[in-house]
Amino acid sequence: MTDNTQNGQENIYRPAIMNVVGKRDEAPGVKTLRLEFQDPVEHERFRQTYRTGMFGLYGIFGEGESTFCVASPETRKEYIECTFRQSGRVTSSLASAEVGDLVTYRGPYGNRFPIEEFYGKNLLFIAGGIALPPTRSVIWSCLDQRDKFGRVTIVYGARTVADLVYKHELEEWQNRSDIELVLTVDPGGESADWQHRVGFVPSVLEEAAPSPENCVAVLCGPPVMIKFTLISLGKLGFNEEHVYTTLENRMKCGVGKCGRCNVGSVYICKEGPVFTAAEVARMPAGDL
Amino acid sequence: MTKILLRDRLDDCITRWHAAGFEVIGPVSKNNISQFAAIEKADELDLGAILPGRTLKDLFFPQTEPMFRYRIGKQQIDTEEYLPPERQRIVFGARPCDASAMAIDDPLFGWDYKDSYWFRRRNETVIVTIACTAADEFCMCTSLKLAPDSTLGSDILLRPLEGNRGWLVEELSQRGSEALSRIEALLEKEAAKPLPPADVPVKFDLEACREWLQNPENFESHFWKEISMRCIGCGTCTFLCPTCHCFDFQDEGDTYTGIRRKNWDSCSFALFTMHTSGHNPRSTQSARWRQRIMHKFNYFPGKFSLNSCSGCGRCTRECPVDMGITETLQEITKLSK
Repeated sequence: MTDNTQNGQENIYRPAIMNVVGKRDEAPGVKTLRLEFQDPVEHERFRQTYRTGMFGLYGIFGEGESTFCVASPETRKEYIECTFRQSGRVTSSLASAEVGDLVTYRGPYGNRFPIEEFYGKNLLFIAGGIALPPTRSVIWSCLDQRDKFGRVTIVYGARTVADLVYKHELEEWQNRSDIELVLTVDPGGESADWQHRVGFVPSVLEEAAPSPENCVAVLCGPPVMIKFTLISLGKLGFNEEHVYTTLENRMKCGVGKCGRCNVGSVYICKEGPVFTAAEVARMPAGDL
Repeated sequence: MTKILLRDRLDDCITRWHAAGFEVIGPVSKNNISQFAAIEKADELDLGAILPGRTLKDLFFPQTEPMFRYRIGKQQIDTEEYLPPERQRIVFGARPCDASAMAIDDPLFGWDYKDSYWFRRRNETVIVTIACTAADEFCMCTSLKLAPDSTLGSDILLRPLEGNRGWLVEELSQRGSEALSRIEALLEKEAAKPLPPADVPVKFDLEACREWLQNPENFESHFWKEISMRCIGCGTCTFLCPTCHCFDFQDEGDTYTGIRRKNWDSCSFALFTMHTSGHNPRSTQSARWRQRIMHKFNYFPGKFSLNSCSGCGRCTRECPVDMGITETLQEITKLSK
């Protein structure tokens, strides 16, 4: 499932310089930056290589680099969007970047969701909290060629209503007749005017009971959610080979050399970050 | 007829190599550390040691090196690369284990994405290796299917002659031949018999170990906890390992200007894999020791068909708590019987 492309750069550790052209507050501590390449050559390389599921290293010189997915879809390559929670040194400085400021980007790296293999199939997207961004990249990559796919179901949950990200897009999906959107928040996380479900993603998923027939599932979320959602998917009759997820680990180089992101023998940066649930099940759990 | 390099010609060789534009580097004792450094004369060389304290790795992948200088302006960021200078170097007097280690790391640094810092230095360096005629109790090259006269990673192999008078010369690569062409006139041609290579006993069964490591059941074996109980996570074994390649990036400077550096890092350190969230996939010292052994003898050979160990034995020789790869693989050999 590897689909890595040698990038043509002389120095693989040299980042591209990006203009911040948009900034959005998504949830408390969570922001989205929209970035454009300063150098048209770098941009062209991105256009040629980026496919949904790949990741990048976003940084600020003087602070360092952080790894997150490219949250924008492969059908919209004029820019890169990244969504992150402000938690460490790099993400704090990225969070303070404003429109007009400059940040750095290296990538795109890693493998991808093989969406051509999903053509003609029903799609089930399941995301928890801050893991909607990687899922959203696949969602838009598919929605931008909507006629190639069957039914589209999106199950998204967060701890509280405030923690839901991409609220404007959730509204858009809600209003589309060709998408079934199931929103939920953890018990206690609902607001007075919350009109959607209350409950954890796995049980809400079981209630929604999407059919596994001719269906591919894309599942992203915190480890505990993944664990129980996989059990629920199993109950619903989903085959682990048709469930895709994306893993993340601490990374420095992003290209298989710095030695820290492997789970067992598998390097998340080179052989991932996209895996089927069956592939994840074969990894040593004690290394996750 | 074989080519012979006499020891008393070494100074002339160095002069000719210098004249041809090569920097000559060899094992020396500097600041009380036995290490590789540039030399001017043959008498600076310390060729008598079993193995220098520091490895050849330092010459290709320094403990810390600047990658870029950055300067942040209002509308632009200027970066200036510090790629290693294109400079021809001859390393004289490497040991076969250290030379092998460089060839072992080549596929890693070239895995789809080429690390130009590594390959610039690799491509411009001639490694002249001296076969070992002596070993100590920590040497274990033969356990790794290498030998005290392995040619892996070397451009020229020298086999010591009787009475310390010189070496028999074996050309191994185009680069080696070019370096030799500069000193051709200084070489003797005679039929000489070199000293036999050192006798290095095999200490563990590498194949049995690999099989044991590949068995998923053994990943959670209690063995890992027992064998690593006394590890203090100091990182000495990784820093002195000729093949350990893990690194970190750190920025040094202020908001407007500074340097991004590539520094050695170590899988022995808890922070190495720690997520920002606080989750750490390898949160215990035993998980980290397991990673080190698995990486060297299972994952790395699985990807590159080479063990990430050349058997120099420094990890065991210098470990402050007397652990090391040798003991672990000996124990695994016993477990797999």
